[in-house]
Amino acid sequence: MPGIAEPLSRRTVLAGALGAAGLGLLSLSGCAPARQEPTIPQAAATGATRPGGRLRVARPAASAAETLDPASSLSAYEYLGALYNRLVKLDERGGTVPDLATEWSSNADVTQWTFRLRGDVRFHDGSAFTAQDAIASIAHILDPATASPQAGVLGEVIDASAMTAPDPHTLRFRLSKPNAEFPSLLAAYQCYIVPADAVGDARRTGIGTGPFRLSSFHPAGTGSVEAVADHFAGRPVLDGIDFFSVQDASARVNALLAGQIDLISQTNLDFATARVVAASPRATVARSENAQWYTIPMLATSAEFSDARVRRAMKLAYDPRRVVETALNGTGSPGWDNPVPPTMAAFLDEPRVHDPDKARALLKEAGAEGLSTKIYTSSYDAVFTPLAVAYRDAVADAGVRLTVQNASSDSYYTQVWMQEPLMVSYWFTGRPIDQLLGQIFRSGSSYNESAWSSPAFDAVLDDARAETNDERRRMLYQDAQRLIVEDGADMTPMFGDRLVGISRDVVNYTEYGFEFDHLSIGFRK
Amino acid sequence: MNGAAAVGRRVLIALLTIVLASLFVFLAVQALPGDVARQLLGQDATPEAVAALRETLGLDRDVWSRYADWLLGAVRGDFGVSLVSGAPVGPDLLTAFGNSLLIAVPAVLVGITLALLLGVVAGVRRGRAADTAISLTALVLMSVPEFMMATVLVLLFAILFPVLPAVVLRGSEATPVELLPSVVLPAVVLTLAMAAYVVRSMRSSTIDVMSREFVVTAELKGLSPLQVVRRHALPSALLPVLDVVALNVAWLLGGVVVVENVFNYPGMGKLMIESVHNRDLPMIEAIAVVSAAVYVLCNLAADMTALALDPRLRTRRRRSA
Repeated sequence: MPGIAEPLSRRTVLAGALGAAGLGLLSLSGCAPARQEPTIPQAAATGATRPGGRLRVARPAASAAETLDPASSLSAYEYLGALYNRLVKLDERGGTVPDLATEWSSNADVTQWTFRLRGDVRFHDGSAFTAQDAIASIAHILDPATASPQAGVLGEVIDASAMTAPDPHTLRFRLSKPNAEFPSLLAAYQCYIVPADAVGDARRTGIGTGPFRLSSFHPAGTGSVEAVADHFAGRPVLDGIDFFSVQDASARVNALLAGQIDLISQTNLDFATARVVAASPRATVARSENAQWYTIPMLATSAEFSDARVRRAMKLAYDPRRVVETALNGTGSPGWDNPVPPTMAAFLDEPRVHDPDKARALLKEAGAEGLSTKIYTSSYDAVFTPLAVAYRDAVADAGVRLTVQNASSDSYYTQVWMQEPLMVSYWFTGRPIDQLLGQIFRSGSSYNESAWSSPAFDAVLDDARAETNDERRRMLYQDAQRLIVEDGADMTPMFGDRLVGISRDVVNYTEYGFEFDHLSIGFRK
Repeated sequence: MNGAAAVGRRVLIALLTIVLASLFVFLAVQALPGDVARQLLGQDATPEAVAALRETLGLDRDVWSRYADWLLGAVRGDFGVSLVSGAPVGPDLLTAFGNSLLIAVPAVLVGITLALLLGVVAGVRRGRAADTAISLTALVLMSVPEFMMATVLVLLFAILFPVLPAVVLRGSEATPVELLPSVVLPAVVLTLAMAAYVVRSMRSSTIDVMSREFVVTAELKGLSPLQVVRRHALPSALLPVLDVVALNVAWLLGGVVVVENVFNYPGMGKLMIESVHNRDLPMIEAIAVVSAAVYVLCNLAADMTALALDPRLRTRRRRSA
């Protein structure tokens, strides 16, 4: 039974049905060119905008417990970038660029960092932004009561007493150990700055320094933000953004096709649905390139994958190009088990070989010839099951027999993840290089999904953090990638493009990693 | 005297059914993998945060004492607070239940009336063109799942000819009046899905009754066909259909889950999906009680109607009088 047909989820069936019905009806009515396969556009439309307008966004709300506190793990993500600013943000190559901080520098052994802050910034309530607000916001992240996902990363190098303000627009951090990449850790989307005297109220008020101010917010319901005319980075094109919670993915797509909304957030459309959307007269698809980082963690503590030779064989056995073709219809790029996306500056461009014979030999050597086990998947993400099936087929040449096991999506990350020996998983790309490697691969990190523990890797990471020469540091991060490709337990078969449903009237949509351009997005002139 | 005892027995059984339903649902939620703390905090949660939330919510106590606490509260009308939003369960559930009624009541009224009528027509005109058309349509509607029907209707009336909204955007904040345009499509889907079953069973029941001796006698007496159907056949033919109607109405009120989800309609079905996803036990329990109550009431109503319609019972009453 397993391995032949996975039970189709209702959503998959619906998407398929929608696809079939949609294509049929659209071409019948003459809305789409008949008999022509609709293709998915490469990039979002750009062009001149007419000032004003309100963007309507459909989002899946996590739960009624969601909050506007950026530090919380329950934050309503779509609002954050509109309402708040960080000290620094990331560019498309993973570099750190100014936001509220204009420049920064360190002492010689990178244990002390000084940030120069903008002096012309006001919060939505009219109060001026100073270094004290930044100190209070970061202290709030570090506070164990907040239980912020970023607390672990920052807590490794600073505590609340490590921050001082020599003057109102200078902020100094004294690190407990050297870290040349420290500024990039402040670019996480938990690190938005809220007013010092109202840190606890941010979850309701949403007062920040961002290009939009909050006008209403109902957890798991609707909410609106209004443009700030005198924002330091310039006035946004839009007058405002309205957010709507729509839990069902196909309902979000229907709302877009019917013209009720302009953008679907946090939804990677499956390929069939994306084609229907791209063929519609009102809506189209924008790609967020390499936004989805797909992984296949092999649990290094399990009986199956504790042997490094077996792990190496599982990699040599498959060709990621074939997986991209099968699982993504080509809308992505092969990962070759290197977790760093090719667009990042620190990317190690050394493709590993695809060698099923060597994989077979390694398995034999490890006494695991004809390895047979389960690979877990779920409908949590539209690409999971195609990925699991593609990987199963790809490793068959090396004599590895996998059975695809479908698990319930609502408990996938609580019952299967980090517990079953082999599964498919994903992350969003957009972590700075040090955080990416440290959070997902370092021994003992709570996000280390393969439970891989390599003292050599940890040592390289420590050396990189202490290295002040940019070129040498980049080489150390590349050594770390080499270790992951050769010995690591978390495979990266591919990076997928996120297929975003968007109205044909919207131009200048840009999103990479966790960065969304709120200023230039607007309606076509 | 006897009648009062029977009614009392019925009410007791109804209450017991509701309590048992609440117990089974409580245990079923315990058996689900993951708890509210894990589901709420999700993949990003630190183990410390999960443990802390678990303790705050009292999830570390044993199942039976938690169920006993809940039952004591529920008896006094206190269904507790949602573990997710922290707000009392009652008002949210009432709003959602009211919204569900907004699509269910029109669906029931229109659907049942239409279905009974068409079923009788098909039964009386068995084998003719009208019967073929009605039976075929009913069969097709029965075979198409509701979400597929919903999707096709959305494509037609919201996307190709945009006269109705595809989904509800202002969900829980909307007033019933604001919801009205969004009520049409879900109500139509429910009507069609439900009516098909009732048509089929009304048709076979009519055919069955029309061949009985008393109907043949009525025809031979020289009554007009309309009178035969209305006075003699219909009351008998309705009896076996009542249970089907009751089951469909109960299904409609308790389980419009799929339809509400497709339309993002803020009713009880959607609330249930979200509550189960989050393992929000007080909300799930309250929904279970309401669903069980609706189910029990529908069956009770069907039995009462059957009593009222049964000619034999009427005869007996007349004799004793």
